[in-house]
Amino acid sequence: MIEKLLKKKNLQEAFSKGLLKPGMNVLVDKPKKLVNNVEGMKQCLAGLRKDLPWVERLDLTNPPAEDVIFKAEGKAPTASKGDVNADDDFQREMFFYRQAQATVLEALPLLNKHGISTKRPDDYFAEMAKSDQHMQKIRKKLISKQLILEKSEKAKKLREQRKFGKKVQVEVIQKRQKEKKAMMTAVKKYQKGMTDKLDFLEGDKKTSKDSSQGPKKAVTKKGSNAKRKYKDQKFGFGGKKSGKKWNTKESYNDVSGFRAKVAHAKSGKGGKKGKGGGGGKQNKRPGKSVRKKMKSRS
Amino acid sequence: MSAFKRKRGGQAHVGKKAKKVKFVADGGEAAVEAEQEKRNEGKWTNKERVLIFSSRGINFRTRHLMQDLRTMMPHSKADTKMDRKDKLFVVNEVCEIKNCNKCLFFEAKKKQDLYMWISNSPHGPSAKFLVQNIHTLAELKMTGNCLKGSRPLLSFDPKFDKEPHYALLKELFTQTFSTPRYHPKSQPFVDHVFTFTIADNRIWFRNYQIIEEDASLVEVGPRFVLNLIKVFQGSFGGPTLYENPDFQSPNMHRREIRLAAAARVREKQMVKEMQKMKRTEAKEDLARDVTADVFLTPADEKPVHIQTEAPEPKMVKKNKHKAFKRQRMKMW
Repeated sequence: MIEKLLKKKNLQEAFSKGLLKPGMNVLVDKPKKLVNNVEGMKQCLAGLRKDLPWVERLDLTNPPAEDVIFKAEGKAPTASKGDVNADDDFQREMFFYRQAQATVLEALPLLNKHGISTKRPDDYFAEMAKSDQHMQKIRKKLISKQLILEKSEKAKKLREQRKFGKKVQVEVIQKRQKEKKAMMTAVKKYQKGMTDKLDFLEGDKKTSKDSSQGPKKAVTKKGSNAKRKYKDQKFGFGGKKSGKKWNTKESYNDVSGFRAKVAHAKSGKGGKKGKGGGGGKQNKRPGKSVRKKMKSRS
Repeated sequence: MSAFKRKRGGQAHVGKKAKKVKFVADGGEAAVEAEQEKRNEGKWTNKERVLIFSSRGINFRTRHLMQDLRTMMPHSKADTKMDRKDKLFVVNEVCEIKNCNKCLFFEAKKKQDLYMWISNSPHGPSAKFLVQNIHTLAELKMTGNCLKGSRPLLSFDPKFDKEPHYALLKELFTQTFSTPRYHPKSQPFVDHVFTFTIADNRIWFRNYQIIEEDASLVEVGPRFVLNLIKVFQGSFGGPTLYENPDFQSPNMHRREIRLAAAARVREKQMVKEMQKMKRTEAKEDLARDVTADVFLTPADEKPVHIQTEAPEPKMVKKNKHKAFKRQRMKMW
């Protein structure tokens, strides 16, 4: 019909008849009419319906169950509960899940009434929809996922620890360097003669005393004091060492290092040297004359 | 197998109720028969048979989906692929040969789009859907499992009762997907539930396994989305009862995307051309500067002083010091 209208003669005729109005006439497509034969559908439905007891069909229509998580979090349930946002994956799947849950909750008592069980007895073995092999695969995958998660957690923790440990280490090193620097400056001052106090030697002890534990003082003091003093004297930073004489009158007369017990003690614990041999000469060494006599004899 | 079928109904099988049935993964023959005889007590009256098959040119996912549906529905029958050259009403004949009264027919077009027909075979209504988002049983994210052939619960959205076409579809789905009671291949337990929900004008299908009596569920089976195209009065033909206004054929959809992309490219090109034109255009000189009066102040204007000689070099501060020092030295 449209093609017929487009012919010039027909257009003129239509215009003269008054069908076409003056002005621009645009060709518009008729909006597509969609079929919605409600009556027909209802008839079809009536014809299709089979009067079967519910037990045969097992179908239920229900809205989804209450959203427990939503309520627990205190959020107001979405107003458009009936209208699920199909793009929000999680919400949509939860909607389906809840719908299934509502069905199950409603259906179980009905099934029990009709004597159909939903629980499988433990000794009932039958073929499952998925083979055991497949289920093993699924289980392995789940376990591996969990392991990966745990590993990443551990790695993260370790990294954190290492960072923390590194921080602590850095701090300790810095502190030590600071102390060393202070000590050096104090020593230099003493060497240059600016201060003649040897306070810095004791300064460490004083500060350490304050910081360290109180009750342990008495125990550690004496033992390490003398040793420490000797070591400090020998290797430490205080005082002139290089230009001194070793073997002076004072040092010769100094018997403070003499320990009678150590000097006269017979070697304890069976002797260090006499383990294997056991022959004489482990404890007492004869004098020079005696040795000469023995030598001349042998 | 068929020989044993005829043995059903005999009194000898009454005593085998409590027999333990043990199934190996491949399924031994003896155990199957025992199971069949076990369910003799009730008679299978609801003779519902569904024919599930497809046309040629389907891809692996569709094939797996069909297999999964056959696994889920023990009252289903399989058939070979139908040639695309045959007209659709041939399907009715195939159904009759196989003695089925419902049919699920999968049709693949362009190796991309999958259409599903569901119909009540001899005279009943039928519907055509576009199937999307297929996930099969074998996917590792579907962690549930159910008995093969157990009867499903069917769960429908309340929206199915509101529209006549949805009500018709609901009836069709119910009759097709529900396993008849006392079907020889079915299991007497109910341990999974099919859900049909309407969202975004599409029907979403999910299959959950019922783990506990308190309705904790795990997803089992295949999942897909059905987009209704048309409902017909006859089986695979006949007058159209309903057409979905929101349906857009996948071809049109792809075309739209392509056109949109093309339009974007064209727009960019046009913008570039406009910019080029503007740049190469002859620009006219303005006789009057519009912004000249902006900085005019009512205060008196300074006289314009044109410098003809270069200004004197400034004394660098650096040298100042030295001057002083030298002076100092001179003083000494």
